[in-house]
Amino acid sequence: MGSDPDSLMPLVYDELRRIAAGYISRERPGQTLQATALVNEAFVRLAGEKARPFANRTHFLAIAALSMRQILVQRARARKAAKRGGAPQRVTLDEGLVSAEGPTVDILALDEALTRLAALDAEQARIVELRYFGGLTVEETAEAVGSSPATVKRQWAMARAWLKRAMESAPEDGVDDAS
Amino acid sequence: MKREQWERLKTLFNGALDQPPDSRHEWLLREAGGDEMLAREAAALLHAHETAGAFLENPVTMHPADVAGIDQPFGGARLGSYEIEYEIGRGGMGIVYCARDVRLGRRVALKALPPVHGDDAGLRERLRREARAAATVSHPAVATVYALEEIDGHLFIASEFIEGHPLRGEIERGPLESRRALSIAADIARALCAAHEAGVVHRDLKPENVLITVTGSVKVVDFGIAHAESVNTRLTRPGEAIGTPAYMPPEQLIGGTTDERVDIYALGVVLTEMLTGQHPLAAGRRAMPVPASEIAWRCIQSDPNDRYQSARDVLAALERELQNPQGLRIDAVSTPSSRWWWEFHQAIVAFVYAVMVWPTWIARGVIGGQEGNAVFVAVLAAAILAVTLRLHLWFTSRFYPAELGWARARAMGWVLASDALFATALVVAGVLISDTQPGLAVLEIAVGIAAASAFALVEPATTRAAFRTTSRL
Repeated sequence: MGSDPDSLMPLVYDELRRIAAGYISRERPGQTLQATALVNEAFVRLAGEKARPFANRTHFLAIAALSMRQILVQRARARKAAKRGGAPQRVTLDEGLVSAEGPTVDILALDEALTRLAALDAEQARIVELRYFGGLTVEETAEAVGSSPATVKRQWAMARAWLKRAMESAPEDGVDDAS
Repeated sequence: MKREQWERLKTLFNGALDQPPDSRHEWLLREAGGDEMLAREAAALLHAHETAGAFLENPVTMHPADVAGIDQPFGGARLGSYEIEYEIGRGGMGIVYCARDVRLGRRVALKALPPVHGDDAGLRERLRREARAAATVSHPAVATVYALEEIDGHLFIASEFIEGHPLRGEIERGPLESRRALSIAADIARALCAAHEAGVVHRDLKPENVLITVTGSVKVVDFGIAHAESVNTRLTRPGEAIGTPAYMPPEQLIGGTTDERVDIYALGVVLTEMLTGQHPLAAGRRAMPVPASEIAWRCIQSDPNDRYQSARDVLAALERELQNPQGLRIDAVSTPSSRWWWEFHQAIVAFVYAVMVWPTWIARGVIGGQEGNAVFVAVLAAAILAVTLRLHLWFTSRFYPAELGWARARAMGWVLASDALFATALVVAGVLISDTQPGLAVLEIAVGIAAASAFALVEPATTRAAFRTTSRL
């Protein structure tokens, strides 16, 4: 990994936003994006620029995954706040989607659980971040964390199980009780 | 959980996964030794693993708007003290809702600005300042800015809610009737006057930002917001200008220092679009009614010093035209074939004027003295002026048809003067030599009368053919 992700975050963050804004102006209502598509497009664009601040592709992907997590969490918070006072409702990002990808995930609960996991096992938390928010494959993730695909698979399996448990047993806050 | 406990849990979990599914639990109990807590924890994890299904297996999906920082429509939702009613529109830069301010019970247009990255206090302060400046502008043709709201870290601009449609829609249906176009332009100029006097420059004036209300009045929206948006989002790359390129003068396009004269340029573009349906720089665009074209022309000069220097000056010019019933008559339709006779006319007249200098030179000798010289000088001066002007018009018609209306309006007074002088001088010369040189006298008088009648009768006919005169009044 390497050189200060903090200074590169705004760059990636803005690029992701710019691309997403482009999708909106092309306007396909109800359309959703998978993180993978967005992150890869951002990479292609930034890699084409003259001054390439990234050591390599995985370096970029790691920063992009972190950016995505922040953006989506911020968004989910804003939306939850906006709905406060209305009918009690669980806030999920995939809301309203007929999802072919399984049940929807509560981003805020996931974020909170992921933060707790990071305290126990930083590498597992990072693997989840890369795979779920960045859309990285097992191989790409292995490269990003500097380990083998086999190890990543094991770590991923445990992290996933731990998160599922953590999110199921997490105490719900008052607003979300009804769901 | 302690570090070593977590490591043991990891070993147990991974080891169990290597066992056949039905013997995993026995394996766990055996391997955990006496640590019942740890065994239970591992078993729970194992259970979660077996029942996780597709949990997190697919990367997160999202609406692009979530990433762009633009809200999804959420009717009925509350944003601070605003109750969202419905979405009015959206673009790459933001989304606009119709909302109700529950504190004051009034309807507002609520525009979401994309989030400021991080906690840039300076940037927020600057946005607040710009919103405050925009809020000081009060004019019937300006959509009033009420407030810059910060709700849960997101910025919104609340402004007057306007029931109406954007001017863009009307332009798309074809050129507007001249008087109406000038009157809308005058309203925009009034809005600009009020804003500029308050020190607010629009910077993104375009037909999308001009609304025609249900009662037919004009409202300019988004004063001072274009700038705020771009500063806020940083969606513009370095070197990219703020605004909409088609409505931006050169100094704004290159990102140089700009002032309220950028709005005057944009107004010139909007006026041209209203009258012709086309951008002033569009190839082969139709010509415009002459006086309006002159006003637009001055607005869109590249050098800001060549434009009207203030919105008040533009407004004065527009009002003058609106009060002039003759002013809007000529509507040039610029097809090369319709201009052929008119161009031919110009060429022939220029030729005849040039040729007539020679017989007048002979007449000068016959008349002699002061009078002879005076008559000759008058014909020569008139011929030079008329030939220059007519060749200029001919050339403009051939190569810059879009500017013809403007060029003709400018030249018309001089053409009239030179024709009158030419015809008069020829007739005078003819009369003076009628005793000694009857043949030459007839020629001079005939051409003089022909020139006068050509100007009075033939030219209007060819002009009518070239520039279809419509009665749009």
